[in-house]
Amino acid sequence: MSSGGEKGTATTKTPADFLKSIRGRPVVVKLNSGVDYRGILACLDGYMNIAMEQTEEYVNGQLKNKYGDAFIRGNNVLYISTSKRTLADGA
Amino acid sequence: MASNPLQLLPSELIDRCIGSKIWVIMKGDKELVGTLRGRVLKPGPDRPVRSGLDQVTDREITAEGRRITKLDQILLNGNNIAILVPGGSPDPE
Repeated sequence: MSSGGEKGTATTKTPADFLKSIRGRPVVVKLNSGVDYRGILACLDGYMNIAMEQTEEYVNGQLKNKYGDAFIRGNNVLYISTSKRTLADGA
Repeated sequence: MASNPLQLLPSELIDRCIGSKIWVIMKGDKELVGTLRGRVLKPGPDRPVRSGLDQVTDREITAEGRRITKLDQILLNGNNIAILVPGGSPDPE
């Protein structure tokens, strides 16, 4: 079976490529609790520990808090997603 | 071609799904559907069994009142994965 990456245009293929490509970009991090964090990804590691900048905390889709710098311990992370809107535009 | 399904290891089955649609059922009322782009095997001192991180594109279906979130590309933590279904969800949406 081929690994057909036919629709990945500007995006990447493997998880490793994905991780390289999202550093410094706006991301959405969802925790197991359902809370979302939106901000600029500063760095992350193999445990999915994450450091973020200009972080906004969303509970049930509502902005609850803002943090300049935030560290999220990886065990709480459900997923990391790219965010289409840039933080500068949206915030 | 080794085609006896009984001789296919579960991890090999998942590797064969790379590039195609997959339906990920999580523990606790969460599901995701998307295209599997790859996975991460993470052997570690504290985790003798690997924890798969699956990178999934497209949408998330949350069953808490069926809230649907569409996402472009994500890195999913494998900790809470319950079932992986090759071929995607039967739900057309």
